[in-house]
Amino acid sequence: MSRLRRMDAVTTEFAEAAERHLDDVHAFLVYLTGDRNVAEDLTAETFARALERWRRFDPRRGSPRAWLCQLARSTALDHFRAEERRRRREGRFAARERREDAGPVFGDGLSAELEQALARLSAAEREVVALRVVLELDGEMAARVLGISATACSTRLSRALQKLEKEVSAGVAA
Amino acid sequence: MSPLELVGDLDGIARELRASRPAASPALRQRVLALEAPEPRFAFRLPSRRLVLALAALALLASFVAAALTGLGGGTTRSSSGGAVSTHPPIAESRAKSPGPVTHALEGAKLAAPYALPPTAGRLQRYDATLRLRVHDLDGLSRATQRAVNLTRGLGGYVGSVDYSTRSGKRGGAATLVLRVPVANIQAELDGLTDLGTILQQRTGILDVTRRSDREARQIAALERELAAASPQEAPAIRARLATLRAKHARLLRSARLARIVLGLATPSQQAATPPGRLHRTLDDAGKVLVRELEILIYALVVAGPLLLLGAAGIATARTVRRRSDRRLLERA
Repeated sequence: MSRLRRMDAVTTEFAEAAERHLDDVHAFLVYLTGDRNVAEDLTAETFARALERWRRFDPRRGSPRAWLCQLARSTALDHFRAEERRRRREGRFAARERREDAGPVFGDGLSAELEQALARLSAAEREVVALRVVLELDGEMAARVLGISATACSTRLSRALQKLEKEVSAGVAA
Repeated sequence: MSPLELVGDLDGIARELRASRPAASPALRQRVLALEAPEPRFAFRLPSRRLVLALAALALLASFVAAALTGLGGGTTRSSSGGAVSTHPPIAESRAKSPGPVTHALEGAKLAAPYALPPTAGRLQRYDATLRLRVHDLDGLSRATQRAVNLTRGLGGYVGSVDYSTRSGKRGGAATLVLRVPVANIQAELDGLTDLGTILQQRTGILDVTRRSDREARQIAALERELAAASPQEAPAIRARLATLRAKHARLLRSARLARIVLGLATPSQQAATPPGRLHRTLDDAGKVLVRELEILIYALVVAGPLLLLGAAGIATARTVRRRSDRRLLERA
């Protein structure tokens, strides 16, 4: 009986956290993968994992948002590895072409130049932009999600933004 | 915002990115909120840092308690080289507490009080005693030797011999005195001597020579009778035998009249200079246990240390490799 009650409490707590941070996790995964469909699947997968591990989450070690982003990143990395293996097996086709043919990925109201510029960034560059600019995590929290130092995170963000700006300029000039 | 405005305007880019951030579709929201908590599975979890600290503190406390218990429980009796140090209280106080059983020879831990077999009145007895005492230092040795001599003379006896020696460069020293006192004063003599230091060894012995003395007296009487009836040719030989017998008898009487006491005085060796008290012994034993525990800990660290270091280095390397691999993967994606 108490076990069921405990499980109910966990589910309720988790549902609240999911409701609050679903958009953040989804946005982060969209930036990371550059594919909305994949991002949706990975978001669902991330929250499934999060529910499994919810008891292990320690609020003293970070916010639920950062923890969920860490899980999302790990889920995305697993996906990238699996994809890479699959591509190696099946030959190098489609994935990139499909991405270029698709509609707006990174946001519905985003200008075409910015959309294309973001698409030209690597996933590593987009993830730091997503965390620091879109989700507005502070440097330390973003660094923890990425598993690097705050200084390295700051450097990576600076380079990603420079490249983004350059790509936007190039897009506008074209 | 027009694309031209975005050029050279990072703030503008950031604003646009935030304003157009992708939102989760209602279908995804429903999918996620429909997730059900799985049955909790057993999973090994590393103990928390607080628990580890608490366990470490507990182990430390346990080691101290073990050391203290060992210290309190053991070491009531300790022997230095030759077992000369007794943990019994000094003789002056122990004498009042318990006289102890009558024993002819007492040594080491059995010593409780000076014991002198009382000479039996009307009997002729040869009395021998050996007493070994410990004095604190060389000054004490000198004083005790002098007092023993004075005491013996005061009781009508004399000093047969004194052998006094000190070791140069060290604090140790020893004296051996052979004392002769009238048997009637033997108890007073021993009482006085035992006040000079702590008893290490005591031996007393009595040999009854009454029958031997009587036999010699009878032989002397017989020879005197023989001498009285002897011819002038036989008389010198009888007289010589009589003189020898009388001298022998006189020696016997003298030995029975004066008790012989061999008194040994010694300072403790440098190591045993101050017999440790109970508190010191407890602390000493507890310290030994702690040192032993430390030795075991260091031994374990020496044995397990390299393995732990290798393990830690392996984990760190694996993490770095994994991080780099992730980075490369994301660069390619």
